[in-house]
Amino acid sequence: MIKTLMVAQREILENIKTKGFWIGIFVFPLLLTLFIVIPPLLEKTKDARTYAVMDESGWLLPIVDQHIITEDITRVFSEVVNKVRAKGAAHADIPEVISQLAPKLAELDETLISNAATFLVTGKETGETGEGNDKTLPEHIRQTLKEERESLMKWWENISPTDARNISPGLSKASYHRLKIAESKKNQKGLNRMLSNETLFAYFVIGPDPIKGDEGSRYVSKNVADDSLRSWFRNEVSMQVRRLRLNKENIKPEVARWLMKPFHFEARKIGAEGAEEKVKITDKILQMAPIAFVYLLFISILTVSQMLLTNTIEEKSNRIIEVLLSSVSPVQLMAGKIMGIAGTGLTIVLAWMATLFFGTKYLPSLMGAQPGVDLSIVGTNPIYLLSFIIYFFLGYLFYASILVAIGSVCNTLKEAQNLMTPVMIIMMVPLLAMIPIAKDPNGTLAHILSYVPPFTPFIMMNRAATMPAFAEYVITTVLMLVSILGVLWVAAKVFRIGVLLTGKPPKIREILKWIKAPVGAFPRS
Amino acid sequence: MGENFGMKPAITLEGVTKRFGDIVAVDNISMKIPSGCVYGFLGPNGAGKTTTIRMMMSILYPDSGTITALGNPNPEAVKDRLGYLPEEKGLYKKMKTGEILAYFGKLKGMPSSKARARAAELLKQFGLGDWMNKKCETLSKGMSQKVQVLATLIHEPELVILDEPFSGLDPVNVEILREMILDIKKQGKTVIFSTHMMEQAEQICDYILLINKGRKVLDGPLVEVKANAGKSVAVDYEGEESGLANLSGVTRVNNAGKTAELILEEGIDPHSVLEQLISRVKIRRFDTSEKSLHEIFVSAVGGKSND
Repeated sequence: MIKTLMVAQREILENIKTKGFWIGIFVFPLLLTLFIVIPPLLEKTKDARTYAVMDESGWLLPIVDQHIITEDITRVFSEVVNKVRAKGAAHADIPEVISQLAPKLAELDETLISNAATFLVTGKETGETGEGNDKTLPEHIRQTLKEERESLMKWWENISPTDARNISPGLSKASYHRLKIAESKKNQKGLNRMLSNETLFAYFVIGPDPIKGDEGSRYVSKNVADDSLRSWFRNEVSMQVRRLRLNKENIKPEVARWLMKPFHFEARKIGAEGAEEKVKITDKILQMAPIAFVYLLFISILTVSQMLLTNTIEEKSNRIIEVLLSSVSPVQLMAGKIMGIAGTGLTIVLAWMATLFFGTKYLPSLMGAQPGVDLSIVGTNPIYLLSFIIYFFLGYLFYASILVAIGSVCNTLKEAQNLMTPVMIIMMVPLLAMIPIAKDPNGTLAHILSYVPPFTPFIMMNRAATMPAFAEYVITTVLMLVSILGVLWVAAKVFRIGVLLTGKPPKIREILKWIKAPVGAFPRS
Repeated sequence: MGENFGMKPAITLEGVTKRFGDIVAVDNISMKIPSGCVYGFLGPNGAGKTTTIRMMMSILYPDSGTITALGNPNPEAVKDRLGYLPEEKGLYKKMKTGEILAYFGKLKGMPSSKARARAAELLKQFGLGDWMNKKCETLSKGMSQKVQVLATLIHEPELVILDEPFSGLDPVNVEILREMILDIKKQGKTVIFSTHMMEQAEQICDYILLINKGRKVLDGPLVEVKANAGKSVAVDYEGEESGLANLSGVTRVNNAGKTAELILEEGIDPHSVLEQLISRVKIRRFDTSEKSLHEIFVSAVGGKSND
């Protein structure tokens, strides 16, 4: 045992000196950070898409445009109001031009803020553009809005995408910029040329009779992969066209809404006390989170047992193995290596866990993300973390035993790759079953696969969200432990002979013979 | 050689057999290695030398038979008192010379501080003092060979087993290693080494064992083995190689071109052979002596050896 620990200790001490170890430690945190940091950065650096609209109907575009502005202004108002409420009018970082208006808006509720925006843009409260509500703005606010109207509209007209994005990334002005084209230039040839020299990202053609149908309407662009502009503008136009159609048929918007309202079942769950509880967004995240853990488990087990494989092959090709065997028995050597790499691997995995914990807890807010959903419920959930650590160990022991045996018979990584193929195929099964099991964590598939030892760690991790029965935990773990012992025993027999071999690796048939053959008469003293 | 070797054998094998599948690698071998001697373990490649040695070191276990090492019927129990230098040997490239020696010492059960002190002492003694804090990958081939031998000796083993220690060494390193082996013997310890090069064995062994195809061919003190084997004639000559063919009274010729060993029929007077030779080639030396180990081995096996 002491010798086993000495081997393990050397493995750890030498491994932490290698580059691979530090790459292993930092690669996941780096990926996670990039995953959280990069998308918003990309979003920020994306240029606003310039587009143009050729309105053959001659009247729809101004209506749509007015609505888009109203929506944007509503959003600007709400953002400003949020800031004023959070920090007070004097300290809030709001555009100069609204600073007069902001404290007054802060007195209003959500509906009235929207009414204020509508009033500002159209001069009416619940007119053609807004959908009607009964509330009316206080007179002094109407007055201020009238006074500020000209300067505000002018400011909005000329705001840069960056400034718009700073107010809220959701504003249409932050992402899209409509190029006003002179009447004379309204011909497709001109627009096509602009597309070619990339002064224009896309243009829309609104057909001659949009109320009747969308005939002749189209979207032209060089880039057909990025669909965001098309779908955004389509929604805006659809909304106005729908409203106009309802108007034409004398259907009240409320009636239309009621007609179109889908029948809704509210999702509930049974809580710990057996009572009905509302399903929160965090519940949904927690339900799907095990998928992330299964991935992480898969990656950790694979990486760490691969370290063992590489390490064994290296020592074999260094010809150090037999020198070691003059002092330790093959089983001690194998056990020491498995333990040493487990220590190294666990250090890496714990570093990953810590990253996940702190990364999800603090990084998003550092990046200025909305505080709405707290991802750290995943990184700090004790069931998940505990399951992860335990199943990492079980899975590692199982697969490490197989890989150390494979490593022992090979002299190069290339040789090992052939023997690795069946192992990889087995390891892919839990990954393929991941989504079906996450959706039905207590279904037949989940139950059956839980009892198959090579899959147990992954599947049980996968099912952690609904907490399988205690008995199931016990039985699967016992099965897993028994098979680990079996695999270790087989691995020891292969390792004992394999490490002494040079030349080409043996066939599977020969390896099976070794497993069956007796080790020889154990000496007794 | 009037040396007295200990009455207690350092290691004893009785009826040891080891199979790998259908192949019998070692077939019912028995031997007794007296303590304090240099024991040569001879045979062509693939004869079963390494398998036998691995069983002595408990790296493999025999299928049948017993091995008693240093008086213990379980050789695994005394593994820490044995030193072993395998034929396939290497060092951890990234470890420092001193560190790796100390590590092997610790694996053999030495306390950490003692292992480190002894490592430093050995390196200094063998002229590698400056290399103690250098990584093994910076050593020359000769130096790393030396370090490997030192790793075998770090824990002052009572029995040292060297598997093909001379293979691949240049003459200077052969000389160094030979001195090291004789030095271990001088300290009253036992050395077993295997080789397929008979000349090496002939120079330093007290005892030899010849093994072929897993079976013992013969064993005993080198002096006795040679005395029992009969005489042969060593000849240095100039002239056609064919001049040595078809000499009457000569059973076999081991011809090396300029020198040759002639094996005589029993009862033949060497003088009659000399008379025949004089008429055929120019004789530089004509020497009646004991048979060479090579000849003893070849005739015992009854065929050509592989080397």
